[in-house]
Amino acid sequence: MTNWLNQHVQALRLVLNRMQYNKLSTFMISIVIAVALCIPGLFYLGVDHLSKFTNHMQSETEISLFLKLDSDKDAISEIETVLAKNASIKHYHLVPKAQAWEELKNKAGTGQKKEKNITSLDKNPLPDAFFIQAKSAEPDALESLKNELQSIPGVEHALLNTDWAKRLSAILALGKKIILFITLQLAIALLVVIGNTIRMQILTQKDEIVVSKLIGATNSFIRIPFLYAGVLYGFFGGVLTVLLLTLVVKLFNVFITELSSLYSSDFSLPLVNSQLFISIIGIAMLIGWLGSYLAVSRSIASIKIS
Amino acid sequence: MIKFDHVTKRYPGSNEALRDASFTIEAGEMVFVTGHSGAGKSTLLKLIAAIERPTSGTVLVANQNISKLKPSATPFMRRRFGLIFQDHKLLYDRNCFENVILPLHINGVSGTEAAKRVRAALDKVGLLNKEKAMPITLSGGEQQRLAIARAVVSRPSILIADEPTGNLDASYAADIMDIFQAFNQVGVTVIVATHDALGMSAVQGRVLHLDHGILKEGERLTS
Repeated sequence: MTNWLNQHVQALRLVLNRMQYNKLSTFMISIVIAVALCIPGLFYLGVDHLSKFTNHMQSETEISLFLKLDSDKDAISEIETVLAKNASIKHYHLVPKAQAWEELKNKAGTGQKKEKNITSLDKNPLPDAFFIQAKSAEPDALESLKNELQSIPGVEHALLNTDWAKRLSAILALGKKIILFITLQLAIALLVVIGNTIRMQILTQKDEIVVSKLIGATNSFIRIPFLYAGVLYGFFGGVLTVLLLTLVVKLFNVFITELSSLYSSDFSLPLVNSQLFISIIGIAMLIGWLGSYLAVSRSIASIKIS
Repeated sequence: MIKFDHVTKRYPGSNEALRDASFTIEAGEMVFVTGHSGAGKSTLLKLIAAIERPTSGTVLVANQNISKLKPSATPFMRRRFGLIFQDHKLLYDRNCFENVILPLHINGVSGTEAAKRVRAALDKVGLLNKEKAMPITLSGGEQQRLAIARAVVSRPSILIADEPTGNLDASYAADIMDIFQAFNQVGVTVIVATHDALGMSAVQGRVLHLDHGILKEGERLTS
């Protein structure tokens, strides 16, 4: 056990020494990894935040229940008891037609043209309405609740205004799939780049490998430093990606807040997304390990000692 | 300790490098393998050290059949040997100390115990004051001694040297031979391949003479 641990500590120390000796090339391969991972990372950050934003919008969506125009007080209270019994409703409130009419008139009061139009109506065209907040924010649950409410007698129309949010989240889901695809492609490219770097290192250290084999080193002993090198490249690349992402987000946020303020929204990208950052570093390390593993297994077998 | 039984080695596309060789080397022996260049000396040593496998016949080292050794077991077999080459095979990107410690790392020895053993080995070959020096700054004789220190640091029971004095002048060569003699006297089996009679002038041991791959037991050398 201590032997095993020693072997790893020594390998790690050896690799770190080598990397310190070759700072520039270590930095360059890390940059390659960082740039390749930064692109999908940035897209993910945007899409992920946007989808959280739309989820939030969806959860705030009310179901509007418009009653028949000729509903009397009894019909309204009857419907109210049905709503009170429904377990999936968080809360609801009634807006009587007179109140809605007043509100509409007040809202329209600012524009002269509209005022004319509204005042030209001699009687209130609006129905009584319930505005319902559901307990669940799931689109499917909302949909079935809407249908349930629609079937209550005396209800003219139940309206769930989440269609636009649904469309947006479908687009975002597609966006996420595209990101996954891009990430996969870049991951393959990185595998090749890291594998090639490790293969070059193996070639420059051929003498050492031959000598080690001659004095009884096992293949795993020879392999371990190169695997560590791959993992460390991934780690440095991942950390650099995170730094780059933070920098880019910071720059972008200036423009995004400007843009979103025009839409009177306070939308901006979050600076720190620790879950994403940890995943990026983890993925980079995994790619580094896999790339070097593939390179090492083939190259070491091809080095003959006799 | 080491037993060859009708061993033949043929390299692809060439003649037999070693033909029907049978001999035994006992533990603690000092053996010289002599012959002109191309006579099969290196082949014989490589067969012992499990670097090459025989085409036919059996090679037994410490009762293990080299030709039936699994690839995964080969590294552990090699750790029984200290190998010394004509071209030293030192690593020029690290200093003397780091060169010598490599076999210990492979064996899983580290820390102060490893450092102690490295210094003991360097002391035996007279290079204790050069532990921080880079091998490239050493003379040919010193480089060969460094290679010997690396070969003996893990205390192998068998030392195998392929033309260790090939590139050295007579006085350096005699130094090297004295070192081998000293190891042999503490019980290490020493096998030295050499085409050079000078190096053997002051030593004693058995001679295995090779002529175009055919083994002839030579006379014992006594000083």
